[in-house]
Amino acid sequence: MIIQTLIFYVFAAITVAGGVMVVTARNPVHSVLFLILTFFTAAGLFILMGAEFLAMVLVVVYVGAVAVLFLFVVMMLDINYLKLREGFLQYLPTGVVIGLILLVELVMIAGKWVLSPASLESRAAPTPMLVKLTNTEALGQVLYTNYLYLFEAAGLVLLVAMIGAILLTHRVRPGVRRQKIVDQLARTKGNSLEIKKVPIGGGV
Amino acid sequence: MYELPNLVPALPEILLAVAALGLLMVGVFRKKDATGFVGGLAVAALVVAGIVEVNLARVPVVTTLGGMFVLDGFAVFVKALVLLAAVLTAIMSLSWLRQEKLGQFEFPVLLIFATLGMMMMVSANDLMALYLGLELQSLSLYVLAAYHRDNLRSTEAGLKYFMLGALASGLLLFGASFIYGFTGATGFDAIAKALGDGASVPVGVTVGIVFLLAGLAFKISAVPFHMWTPDVYEGAPTPVTALFAVGPKIAALALLIRVMVGPFGHLVEQWHQVVVALSLASMVLGAFAAIHQTNIKRLMAYSSIGHVGYALIGVAVGNAAGVRGVLVYLAIYLFMNIGTFTVILSMRQRGRMVEQIEDLAGLSKSNPLMALALAIFMFSMAGIPPLAGFFGKLYVFIAAIQAHMYTLAVLGVLTSVVGAYYYLRIVKVMYFDEPADSFDRPIGRSMTFILTGTSLVILLFFLFPEMLLTGAETAAASLFHG
Amino acid sequence: MYVAVVFLPLLGAFIAGLFGRTLGDRGAQLVTCAGLGGSAAMAVGIFLDVAVGGHAQTHELFTWISSGTLDITWALKYDTLTAVMLLVVTLVSFMVHVYSIGYMHHDPSVPRFMSYLSLFTFCMLMLVTAGNLVQLFFGWEGVGLCSYLLIGFWNDRPSANAAAIKAFVVNRVGDFGFALGIFGIYYLFGSVNFEAIFAAAPQHAHETVQFFGVSGNAMTIICLLLFVGAMGKSAQIGLHTWLPDAMEGPTPVSALIHAATMVTAGVFMVARMSPLFELSETALMVVTVVGATTAFFAATIGCVQNDIKRVIAYSTCSQLGYMFFALGVSAYQAAIFHLMTHAFFKSLLFLGAGSVIHAMSGEQDMRRMGGIWRHVKITYAVMWIGSLALAGIPFFAGYYSKDIILEAAFGAHSAVGEYAYWMGIAAAFMTAFYSWRLLLMTFHGKAHAEDRVMAHVHESPLVITVPLMLLALGAVFSGIIGVGAFVGEGREGFWREALVVLGSHPALEAAHHSPWLVSLLPIIVGAGGIALAYGFYVYMPAVPLGLARALPAVHRFLLNKWYFDEAYDFLFVRPAFALGRGLWKDGDGAVIDAVGPDGIAAATRSVARRMAALQSGYVYHYAFAMIAGVTAFVSWYMFLYQG
Repeated sequence: MIIQTLIFYVFAAITVAGGVMVVTARNPVHSVLFLILTFFTAAGLFILMGAEFLAMVLVVVYVGAVAVLFLFVVMMLDINYLKLREGFLQYLPTGVVIGLILLVELVMIAGKWVLSPASLESRAAPTPMLVKLTNTEALGQVLYTNYLYLFEAAGLVLLVAMIGAILLTHRVRPGVRRQKIVDQLARTKGNSLEIKKVPIGGGV
Repeated sequence: MYELPNLVPALPEILLAVAALGLLMVGVFRKKDATGFVGGLAVAALVVAGIVEVNLARVPVVTTLGGMFVLDGFAVFVKALVLLAAVLTAIMSLSWLRQEKLGQFEFPVLLIFATLGMMMMVSANDLMALYLGLELQSLSLYVLAAYHRDNLRSTEAGLKYFMLGALASGLLLFGASFIYGFTGATGFDAIAKALGDGASVPVGVTVGIVFLLAGLAFKISAVPFHMWTPDVYEGAPTPVTALFAVGPKIAALALLIRVMVGPFGHLVEQWHQVVVALSLASMVLGAFAAIHQTNIKRLMAYSSIGHVGYALIGVAVGNAAGVRGVLVYLAIYLFMNIGTFTVILSMRQRGRMVEQIEDLAGLSKSNPLMALALAIFMFSMAGIPPLAGFFGKLYVFIAAIQAHMYTLAVLGVLTSVVGAYYYLRIVKVMYFDEPADSFDRPIGRSMTFILTGTSLVILLFFLFPEMLLTGAETAAASLFHG
Repeated sequence: MYVAVVFLPLLGAFIAGLFGRTLGDRGAQLVTCAGLGGSAAMAVGIFLDVAVGGHAQTHELFTWISSGTLDITWALKYDTLTAVMLLVVTLVSFMVHVYSIGYMHHDPSVPRFMSYLSLFTFCMLMLVTAGNLVQLFFGWEGVGLCSYLLIGFWNDRPSANAAAIKAFVVNRVGDFGFALGIFGIYYLFGSVNFEAIFAAAPQHAHETVQFFGVSGNAMTIICLLLFVGAMGKSAQIGLHTWLPDAMEGPTPVSALIHAATMVTAGVFMVARMSPLFELSETALMVVTVVGATTAFFAATIGCVQNDIKRVIAYSTCSQLGYMFFALGVSAYQAAIFHLMTHAFFKSLLFLGAGSVIHAMSGEQDMRRMGGIWRHVKITYAVMWIGSLALAGIPFFAGYYSKDIILEAAFGAHSAVGEYAYWMGIAAAFMTAFYSWRLLLMTFHGKAHAEDRVMAHVHESPLVITVPLMLLALGAVFSGIIGVGAFVGEGREGFWREALVVLGSHPALEAAHHSPWLVSLLPIIVGAGGIALAYGFYVYMPAVPLGLARALPAVHRFLLNKWYFDEAYDFLFVRPAFALGRGLWKDGDGAVIDAVGPDGIAAATRSVARRMAALQSGYVYHYAFAMIAGVTAFVSWYMFLYQG
């Protein structure tokens, strides 16, 4: 048990430190790398809790897809991040004060943390009994039944996000040369070749 | 064995979702520009959904879909309002898209998704369902705000709205996680059960409620979570602004009411003060900040902030009378805003949209009927009897006074006096200033129809208030059934 | 009949006023004249029934106000006094209506004019038939309003508007007194109904009240307040200034309102309230002195005026003075008698003057008239009759009434009676003088008008001359017919309860036994006045001019109407304007506006500017505001609210 606790604290500490570094790193590429670190340690925390499916999804989706995409975007766009940070110091004091107040308050709440009996009950008896099923099976059982509504709704949200992305970025630009295989195949002699009589001595 | 849930209460939502997906396909596979076609079908789908919804009014309170979806009189009433707003804005948008030649078939599809999101919000009976409905609605609206993507202001509006909306969602989720953490449940009924009669509430729940409220306050643009409103209203395409001004406001306010009087109904002490503060700040800012605006859309933004402040009075009262006041207020607010935005949409000079207040100068001479309609809306917004806007305020104030919340009522009256200044200024510009260029005519049959309808409703409401009042009464009562 | 007589004119006014446009001029004239004609016919019937037959009666129409002890019914009270007034008002008004058809036919808004005239008549009838003070006040204000409307009828003339406003404002001073008087009566008697007041009056005769810190006899104070109202309406000295200016109105209006009816409302009111006035010696003395002074003072001014209508206006003022001092010596019967005869001959004079003006193409200045009698023979004749009646030449109407007034004043055997008698004699002399001055300057001598005007001089059409002739009949015969019943042996049986005269005031009785010289003197001075006028204006035209040059101060004093207007201008008008301007500029503008509306508006603007400035456009500002807001709310609950 002590080992588990130790590992938890190590992972937790790295997660928090990584999060801080994401925000404070000067180089945006470094920020993204720290983000990946944070994801990894978070996945570790999931594994500690026995939620191996979530841990894997986190690594595959967030690290493998999202964060890497992020990295590409950051590297491709030449943004002067120093300029974006102008005025940062100016607002720092007030920001720090507000942040501190909030932090103190949250700590106080954590100090008074009392779990409700209902909460303890539900934790003691998760909906599909984990002893009998694997993580994936358990999720699968509830996801398409009890949480069907949410699942469908989430699907719609993603669809809207996709539509939005396409709508806002996709456009027909004139002058872009694009290979159109259908057009290529449809070419005939008739519509691509023109024969002209060149008069003698007149040039083309 | 798993049983298929009762889908009847969610029929309008399912219908809309299917329609949106279908129309998406239609739009993609039609060769030529499909905006008009898809748009027409979208309006039809919204109307059908509305009819189905109204026919559900007789269904008693029922929860379905794993207890995450609730249908009661309150939900039906608000959804009917939302659908009405969606239909009207859809009609306005289509004519705008035609005029500006910006037609893309995704527009009506996104409009349906946004409406669907709002309806899901209204029926949410679970923190997760709440969040997903909210996100569906918000995401659609972010895109719509940035729809005019070649326009710097439009993209800026979309981006600002998106970023701040994400922050608000974060606050909301943070609050929700607090509540889940302390009660061990996300369903409203379960939360209510866990909290009991509210005698001893962990401070964490209170803080969770505050965060939750902050997230919702962003959606209804209550002060101090309102800052996005003027910029987004100004930047977004005008029909989208019209939608912003009514649909999401109504849905989010209804959601706020459902959350506050539902699971946290016994915790009035915990959230009451926040709502009062939001209400007071909104009324004051809405009244004062609008005075200096020159852009009419920006002015409407501040005006909507003010109106939210008045509506929040009813929420702060927290009983059936208060909720009834809010519902009446929202219904009237819908007509006033749609009407006003119809006029703003018709402000075109030589084929170009204009949106400065001074462009309205002399409208009474160049287009007396439109000037009259706008004057009616402005007087109504200022709360001048016997126009409908007066009754909206009246019922809210009455509820506040019955609940001995005199500060709110008195401040409400005072700020509405200040607010009257800028509403009446528009009337003054229209009727007493030297005429500027006249607007393009005709404004189109559908626009004329909407304008006439809304102004008649506002003008003649005092003759037939019963229908709305009893409807709101039963709707509010269904929320307090026990 | 008793109800219709009052409401027929109102009906006519409504129809002519509201549907004048569709009816046209002719229709409006017909409707209003028919209404008045019917009313006049019924008034004759009522007179025969009530005054001659002795059937005084009251008709209650409906309850008007019922609040606590204040109980006012809308009632029409008919007694002899009312019947006489009814007859006078409807007959004269009918004549004026008919006359107006001819006189106003050039005017673009005939229906409006006819409607106003009928409305005025209705209000006047309401006044004379009132069964209580409040109803009387309603009629009183109604005639005031109509007078305002009719004086300012030609509302494109600034002078007409000014005159209308002046009439209204000056009357307001009087009305204020009248209203206070009504309040006082209600305070004292607990009722405003005439029957109740008159029945209770003797019991309250010696009560005293505190009024504006002064303790005085209640009855005296009430009577004086009522008399202030009467002074305003009847243009007695001090509040008379509006009457000459009122001549800006069309001439039929002057005849109807400012000679025959409205201006006599004050006389009527005092006569109606005779049971109260009889109880206050002081009030009666004041009435006598004011009346006598007015009679003299107005006559002096009348001698030098050059505007034909103004001369008659001052004459009216003077004759009203006669009526008042008759009232003051308790000869109410004589006052009402003179009221009646005066109504006929004075409206005759006004309408005749109108006919002259009509003939002279609108000229009103007598210095530019003259020598036209051959062209306007009927007008000339009726003007003679009117003047003879006015001057009190025997056997014309004015002779009987004026003579009995002067005899009664002498017969009162009191100091004020004596004063009134001598003032009256002097006024009678001047009356005869200015009447013939008017006649001679207008009709005789060289023509002073331009040829163009002279060529146009013509007799008026029948619609104008017939009313003149009918009124002339009244001016000739109303005196000889009425003298017996009104003031002679038959007066007891005629008036019955309508007028109350205490036994301690035997002036009228004494009048019949006055020395022969007293009775003869008015005729002598009248003849003297006529002779003087002939002397001045026919035989020695240089004398008046020389007189004016020899005594420039006196002449100017008279020409400027004893400087009343100037004094009022200095005393009231200018200070009022100055006060108004001061309150407006300094009080309202500098203090109230600056602190109140303007100050609040300025504060609002500055708040608005600051709030608008919060909107910086930076997303991180907005986000920051949101976070700060959340933090504030959370802190509120964590530290302040939950403790």
